[in-house]
Amino acid sequence: MNRRLLRLLWLATAVLAVAMLLNLVPLRVAGQAPPDEAAKAGPAPKTAWGAPDLQGIWTNTHEIPLQRPSRYAAKEFFTEQEVAELDKQRTAILGQDNRRYEKGSEQDVGGAYSTAIFLSHKPTGRRTSLIVDPPDGRIPPLTPEATSRRQAIREFELALLQATEVCKNKLPGCAGGKYGPPSPRRNEAPPFYLATGAAGGGAINRSDGPEDRTLGERCIGAALPDFGGAAGFFPQFIQSPTAVSIFYDTGQGQGWQRVIPITDRPHLPKSVQQWWGDSRGHWEGDTLVVDVTNFSPRTDFQGSRENLHLIERFTRRDQNTLDYTVTIEDPTTWTRSWTVKQELSKQDDKANRHYKEPRCHEGNYGMPALLAGARAEERAFKQRKGPDPATLCSAGCGGFAGGFADSGEETNPLAR
Amino acid sequence: MANRFGLTIVVAVVAAALGSLITLAVGNKSPAAASPATTVVRTAAGKPDFSGIWQANNEAHWDLQAHEARAAAVLQQGVYPFEYAKVPAAPVLALGAAGGVPGSVGVVEGDGEIPYKPEALKVKSENGENWIDRDPELKCYLPGIPRAMYMPYPFQIVQSASQIAMAFAFSSTGRTIHFEQVEGPPDLTYMGHSVGRWDGDTLVVDVTEFNGKNWFDRAGNYHSEMLHLTERLTPISRDAIHYEVTIDDPNVFTRPWKIAMPLYRRLEANAQVMEYRCIDFVEEFMYGGLRKQPLVKHWEGESLIVDIRRKVPEGDKLYEWYRR
Repeated sequence: MNRRLLRLLWLATAVLAVAMLLNLVPLRVAGQAPPDEAAKAGPAPKTAWGAPDLQGIWTNTHEIPLQRPSRYAAKEFFTEQEVAELDKQRTAILGQDNRRYEKGSEQDVGGAYSTAIFLSHKPTGRRTSLIVDPPDGRIPPLTPEATSRRQAIREFELALLQATEVCKNKLPGCAGGKYGPPSPRRNEAPPFYLATGAAGGGAINRSDGPEDRTLGERCIGAALPDFGGAAGFFPQFIQSPTAVSIFYDTGQGQGWQRVIPITDRPHLPKSVQQWWGDSRGHWEGDTLVVDVTNFSPRTDFQGSRENLHLIERFTRRDQNTLDYTVTIEDPTTWTRSWTVKQELSKQDDKANRHYKEPRCHEGNYGMPALLAGARAEERAFKQRKGPDPATLCSAGCGGFAGGFADSGEETNPLAR
Repeated sequence: MANRFGLTIVVAVVAAALGSLITLAVGNKSPAAASPATTVVRTAAGKPDFSGIWQANNEAHWDLQAHEARAAAVLQQGVYPFEYAKVPAAPVLALGAAGGVPGSVGVVEGDGEIPYKPEALKVKSENGENWIDRDPELKCYLPGIPRAMYMPYPFQIVQSASQIAMAFAFSSTGRTIHFEQVEGPPDLTYMGHSVGRWDGDTLVVDVTEFNGKNWFDRAGNYHSEMLHLTERLTPISRDAIHYEVTIDDPNVFTRPWKIAMPLYRRLEANAQVMEYRCIDFVEEFMYGGLRKQPLVKHWEGESLIVDIRRKVPEGDKLYEWYRR
C-alpha cells in the first residue's frame, strides 16, 4: 500500500472513531420541546456525497395527541407542571388493576386483547397537539361531501350494532344510534371500502368475510402519513444520492419498505392509485421535500381517500433530532389544508439495530379464527343452541382501547 | 499504484477462474472479462454503486434447475399415460397459454443438480406436487432470500456507506444489509439477517438466521432454518450485476452448491418499483371457505372444488376469432 492510501485509511478510521463516539453520547430526551429549549447536540451531519444525512433509526419519544384537547384550547405547549400532572393521571389509570368492564361482558372480552399489551405508553410531550396549523391545533372542518361520507359509514356501523347490548344499554359504542331489531342492512355491502381511521368505519359488527374486519386485522394497516402510536415506531432511514428509503416498523408486523426517489419526474397517471400513493422527493436546502399523491380509495386518513395530497418535509435539525412536518390537503374532505409537526429522536443504530420483520400476515391465525367463530355462531343459532348473531357484538362495541376507557374517569386525559 | 494494479489483475484472474465454473448461467463470460472497470458506477468512497432498480430476467423463479417448458404449474394426466403428455390441471386451466411454465437452461452451477439428501429429495418432489397448497409465494408470505432477488418483480437498491436497503415490489418488503457489526435479530426470520463486506469490487453478503419457511422457487426447492447463504454481487457493466449465491444447509443438502445469474438494471427513464401488496389478493384463496356467502360455490372445508365454467362471450367464439 502506498502512503497516500495509508493516509486515507487513517483519516477514514479517525472519522469512524468520532462517529462512534457521537453514537455513544446518551440520547437527549427533549420530546417536542419548544425550540428555545433544544439541547445542544452536534450539528446535523452530511453524507459522503454532501447531502443532508437523515440516516438511522428514529422514534417519537413522547406521546402527543394529534388534535389539541379542548380544555387546552389556547395553549401550544404544556407547562412542566401540567406535563407532570398529566403523566401522573395517565400512570394512575394505566396502573390500576381492576380496569375493565363487567367480567364476561362483550366490552370486557373485546378489550382483553388491547388492554393487555397496550399498557405501555410514552411520557406526555410538551406540545398540546401534533397539529401546528390551524393555530387551534384541530383538524379543519369537513366539507359537506366528507360529512355525508362519514355519516353514511356511521349509519352503517350503527345499523349493525342496533340489536346488541351495546345499544340496549346505551353504551358509548352506540353513540348516535338506537336499540332495535336486527337490521336488514346486515346483508348489505358497506357504503365505502372499510379502512382504518377515525372516519373510515374501521370496525363493523360483522364477520361475513375478511373485508368486514379492520385493515389492521387483515395485516394491511400500514398507511401514510404515519405518526406512530403510543408504543413502538422505529422508522429506519437509508439513503443514496438518488433515493431515500424508509422502513416503517408499523404496529405488530405490518411494516413496509418505502422508497422516495429524488427526482423531478411527474407523478404517475392519475388513474394509477396505490395504498401508499406515489412519492416524489427533492431537496430544498437541508430539507427533503416529498410530494405524495395517487392514493387508493381503499385508504382513509381522517376521512380523506383518493384525493389525499401530502407535502412532507424531513429536516435533520441536529445530530439527534429529525423534524417531520407534513401539510395535508384534500379539498373534497377539508375546508382548508392543515399541518402536523413531529420531532423524532435518533436511536442507537446498533442497540436498536434490527427492526422486526413485517410478518403479521404470515402468523394471522386471528383472521380464520374470527371467521370460523362467526360461522360457528350462525350454526348454533340455526340449531337453536345459541343467540341470534345479530344480537352479539364483536367490533365497534367500545370498552378499553390502548389502555384507556371510552367513557368516564378512565378515558385518556390527553384526549379529553 | 503498481501494487493496486497488481491487485486488480489478481482479482480479474480469480474472477475469470470462477466465471468459467458458471457456464450454464452466464454463457462462459466472466464478470471481470465483460467489465472494463471504467464503466462501473462508483460511490464517493470508490465502491461499486448498485443503487437503482434491478430485476432478474430468467426462469429461476419457476425452477432453479434446467427444465423444458410445460403446460402448467400443476398438471394432470391427459389422454396419454405418459409424464410428458400431461395437461393443465383444473385450478390453472382457464389461464390457457399464459399459465404455462417456460423452459430454462437453469441457474444451478456445475452438473445442474441440487445435492439433496435422499429424504430431502422426497420432500422436494412432494412440494412440487402440492405446489398450490405449499408454496409460500401463493399466500403472499415474505419471499425470503435469495428468492426475492429473482422473482419476476423489480427491486430497488438504496446504497449508503454503512448500510444497503433493498426494497422489493413483491409484498412491499425489504431487507437491510449491514456493514457494521450489529446484533442479530431477536427471532429467526423469513428474510434473513444480512451482513455485508467488500471483497474488491464484489459485495459479499453473509445471510443467516432464517426460519426455514421459505422456498427457492415454484418447483418446491426448499431449505431449513440451517440455511447459510453467501451472496456475491459483482458489477458486469454499468447496467448489469453478476449475482451468485453459495447455498449451504447441512439439514437438506449433502454439500454447498451454487446458483448464478445476471441482474439487469431497469433502464426505463420512468422506472419505479410499484406496489405489489398482495395480502388482500389472496384473502379469497386463503379464507374463502370461511365466508358467510362463498364467492366460489364449491368449498368443502378448506378444499376449493373448482367448477370451471368459462362462458365464451358472443363475438369471442373460436370461429368468430378466426373470421375477425
